[in-house]
Amino acid sequence: MKNSKYILAGLSVFCILLIAVTSINSSFLMPLRTGVGYVLVPLQSGVNAVGTSVYNRMRDFSSLKAAQEENAGLTSRVAQLTEENTRLQSEVYELSRLRELYQLDQEYMQYEKVAARIIAKDSGNWFQVFRINKGSADGIQVDMNVMAGGGLVGIVTDVGANYATVRTIIDDDSNVSGMSLRSGDTCNVSGNLTLYQEGRIGLDHIKKEADIQEGDKIVTSNISDVFLPGIFIGYAADLTTDANNVTKSGYIIPVAQFDNLQEVLVITELKNEGEKHAENTD
Amino acid sequence: MRKILINIGLLILAFTVQICVFPQISFLSSAPNLLLIFVFICAFIEGKERGMLYGFIAGLFMDLFYSGPFGFYTLFFVNMGYLNGICTKYYYEDYITLPLVLSIANDLIYNMYIYIFRFLIRNRLNFGHYFMKIILPEIIFTTVTTLVCYRFLLFIHRKLKEWEQRRDSNLV
Repeated sequence: MKNSKYILAGLSVFCILLIAVTSINSSFLMPLRTGVGYVLVPLQSGVNAVGTSVYNRMRDFSSLKAAQEENAGLTSRVAQLTEENTRLQSEVYELSRLRELYQLDQEYMQYEKVAARIIAKDSGNWFQVFRINKGSADGIQVDMNVMAGGGLVGIVTDVGANYATVRTIIDDDSNVSGMSLRSGDTCNVSGNLTLYQEGRIGLDHIKKEADIQEGDKIVTSNISDVFLPGIFIGYAADLTTDANNVTKSGYIIPVAQFDNLQEVLVITELKNEGEKHAENTD
Repeated sequence: MRKILINIGLLILAFTVQICVFPQISFLSSAPNLLLIFVFICAFIEGKERGMLYGFIAGLFMDLFYSGPFGFYTLFFVNMGYLNGICTKYYYEDYITLPLVLSIANDLIYNMYIYIFRFLIRNRLNFGHYFMKIILPEIIFTTVTTLVCYRFLLFIHRKLKEWEQRRDSNLV
């Protein structure tokens, strides 16, 4: 066929135009994405369930042998630990008494959450995004925060009727405004592909004189547009002063475990709505 | 027509396996790019028009799944299908070297495309790291998987051809 060259050129130009248009405004493609979602998501859920169960069974089998060996070793340790346990129990009473004295504040504000299962991930390692099996039909909206294991995982970037795409905070594109829980000084938490492979996230834009120290709990800050305040991100580590001598930067060890995420909690409250609500109650 | 439908079915399956199953297997540091393998092998066997069609469908899936600028993957896959379709004149059934070379080249270009347009333009200059940690493992996995997939797709291709020939002879 002689025409194929022109078809190729036509399609390429069409794609480039689409890229240009959707970079500015991507909302007009929503009906198409939702339509495809209706077909693909049930399929994805099914394959996901089968894949998980096969993989789990394989893993169970291979771990059985190791478990038997481990069992022998553990039996002997039980005796040792029982003895230690009695000693520690007495210390627990002391601890609970001290806790009452401190009256530790509740760490998180209580947000309404919806549980969702991860049904698909990016298989390449370039982007850290995943898809969950709840969508606008379950009340999920763009910019809702996603948590797992007590820490911030990411943010919803795209919603269909029965699915939603979540960009994690370890994605190279991600930036979260954070603050130290102890001092309230602000910082920026930026995902970085290089750092993520060492299990860390970047922490930067800290003022040099700001009171953020290694081991501080970093939570989402009040000044972020989209992230609700006070969600735990991780612990600060390895802070150094930058070459410009104005700011400090370092790393965050995240609390959420990203490599084997299966279920996540979506906070069904948007930052803007939350503020409106607060104003009304005032 | 029946062949195209079967191939599209396989394409959907490959896409689903790639994004739903591979990420579950946590001990794999990387995963083969099934969609890419599928498109370039089909283009290689069936020519550039079909290659463009499969590339277009594969690209649409990728674009619908990821919330980046729409058309980013379609642009790549359409062109890849076309260019691999050109090589179809060297196609000879049991000749495995060319598909392997193509698989390495395609995956390298695919990853470079992502790196340049999604990372380099955001001033991520540490190419050596990305190459060693992401691109190289994926190329190795993809090339090994190509060996298996090529046989499998060739088998389907032959069966369908036989089936079509039998139908044609029945008509006569």
